[in-house]
Amino acid sequence: MSADKLIDVRNLNVTFKGEEGPVYAVSDVSFDLAAGETLALLGESGCGKSVTMKSLMRLHPAHKTRIEGQINIDGVDLLSMRPAALSAMRGKTVSMVFQEPMLAFDPVYTVGDQIIESVMRHEGFSRADARKRALEMLERVRIPSAAKRLDAYPHEMSGGMRQRAMIALALACKPKILLADEPTTALDATVQIQVLLLLKELQRELGMSMIFVTHDVGVAIEVADRTAVMYAGRIIEEGPVDDVLSNPWHPYTQGLLGATVHPGMDRKEALSAIPGSPPQLTRQITECAFAPRCSYRTDECLKPMPAAYQADSRAVRCIHALAEV
Amino acid sequence: MTALLRVQDLKKYFPVGKDLLGRPTQVVQAVDGVSFSVEKGRTLGIVGESGCGKSTTARLLMHLIEPDEGRISIRGKEFGNISGRHPVAELRRQMQMVFQDSYASLNPRLTIEDSIAFGPQIHGVSEREARQQARDLLEKVGLNPNVFVRRYPHELSGGQRQRVNIARALAIKPEIVLLDEAVSALDKSVQAQVLNLLSDLKKEFGLTYLFISHDLNVVQYISDDVMVMYLGQVVESGPVEKLYQNPAHPYTRALLSSVPSQTPHERKQHKVLEGDPPNPIAPPSGCRFHPRCEHARAICSSQQPKTTKVDGLHQAACFMLPANPSHEKYIQLQEVSA
Repeated sequence: MSADKLIDVRNLNVTFKGEEGPVYAVSDVSFDLAAGETLALLGESGCGKSVTMKSLMRLHPAHKTRIEGQINIDGVDLLSMRPAALSAMRGKTVSMVFQEPMLAFDPVYTVGDQIIESVMRHEGFSRADARKRALEMLERVRIPSAAKRLDAYPHEMSGGMRQRAMIALALACKPKILLADEPTTALDATVQIQVLLLLKELQRELGMSMIFVTHDVGVAIEVADRTAVMYAGRIIEEGPVDDVLSNPWHPYTQGLLGATVHPGMDRKEALSAIPGSPPQLTRQITECAFAPRCSYRTDECLKPMPAAYQADSRAVRCIHALAEV
Repeated sequence: MTALLRVQDLKKYFPVGKDLLGRPTQVVQAVDGVSFSVEKGRTLGIVGESGCGKSTTARLLMHLIEPDEGRISIRGKEFGNISGRHPVAELRRQMQMVFQDSYASLNPRLTIEDSIAFGPQIHGVSEREARQQARDLLEKVGLNPNVFVRRYPHELSGGQRQRVNIARALAIKPEIVLLDEAVSALDKSVQAQVLNLLSDLKKEFGLTYLFISHDLNVVQYISDDVMVMYLGQVVESGPVEKLYQNPAHPYTRALLSSVPSQTPHERKQHKVLEGDPPNPIAPPSGCRFHPRCEHARAICSSQQPKTTKVDGLHQAACFMLPANPSHEKYIQLQEVSA
């Protein structure tokens, strides 16, 4: 592991103990993140992108989850951390914003109180100083009449404003890493772009690294330097966002882009949909999970999946893609 | 050509809050004077952000909620729950709806076959015939009837359930189908399958669609005509190519500009609107968009702009359009005051 990696994940497996047997949510996922870099985890529902993200904060309930592999964050081994150290890290080194701000805020406290609590806890500020920082943060995320909003309850804000307030909360202690889990998916188009541009701007100012979970190719292009495409719990392709999304190697990435409606495409032409649907993760899949839907499928694909093939700062897990590269 | 569906001056105000005597203290102007028409075989896309009234419009058309004012007619026949108008049951035979939430729109206690065969029986088809029809329709929407007829909604994936909802909407052979965010909850790979299916069914049955969505790329792909709504009103409408290539209303321009590019080499400079859409309880005076509009002048906050022709069927409601009669007056006013 090189020293400039803020996050280094090796062979991460996350298994949930379900009532009807285990669910293999994340299998053999490895990636890293450099300082100041933005990585987009791209994929459809159930592909394991949010589960991967929550593992980086150890937010999964311990008694129902088995996490294997290695997660190093800022040089510290996350999986061996004690609860007190974990609490000190959350919000300070790594912070997270979610899709639904109403669930991230406690409805019975004002927005200001929640930011103040976090700043006092992590920065050791006095209440008055913490309030100053909270106000500064609300102004920074461009909440109109911020001083008044400091004493507002979450339900008194509009969706876009709540999302900004959550960003203010997440960034109040100037974390090194921000994890963003579909933070703009529930927002309207004109508000989504405001929030995306705001996040990019704040990232530059604070020199943060970001991991952005999204199902939207357009959002990944807008915010990310690199992207990792996930399918059925695995990263199947990874590399600079421009390269991966303009010249995808993996058949799934190709299929995903083909199935996405592009502006100005021929309206008479049918979309190239991927047949079938993603597999259930109740079985440990060792072969390529995309094979049943893949038009390149051969008998080779049913053997255990090979390690990622790497070239030109890109990686792909498909034996057929290798032949083409 | 005469329109298949014509909607004139549709209005719905919802009361909110109550005073001591139970009278509403405020109203939400959810749909405020919406008019449009759709020709047979065409698809009208309706776009706008949450709270703009696009879904309320769909529900008013189906009479799932009762309009306060306005006329809805199909082939010149006017429908409604008012004496002198044709009954709503007949309207619903000609127009059916598919909702966003594929699970909530199916009865969890009915098998797929029962769900699809239910409607036709209400409208007088015999049970045997309705069941046969349900099997045929399942085949048409790409689900093997032998596998699926006996299944329950929870046994299906989201994409499969939405296919069932489409089959059910088609079961009473409507001419018009309202699709209210019908593909929005689906993953892209499955969404593409359903969009292809919708195109095929449209050709096969000669259907007319009203396609309501917040996804501007999908609307561009599927629609022939597009209508843009903002705070309960139509701000712009017209043929899809004209509206997307040459948007006339400042709101449409901002909306189209806010969509992230889908290809890395076409990253664009976004024109970012400030603020959130205002509260429909107290909409701004005059043009409802004026507080967020970079071109807004005095007239925009005092008067409501009328819908003006931009080019052919392309029209918009904005004072700053050169074709708007108020435009000349406005320019003169500007010159005088300067």
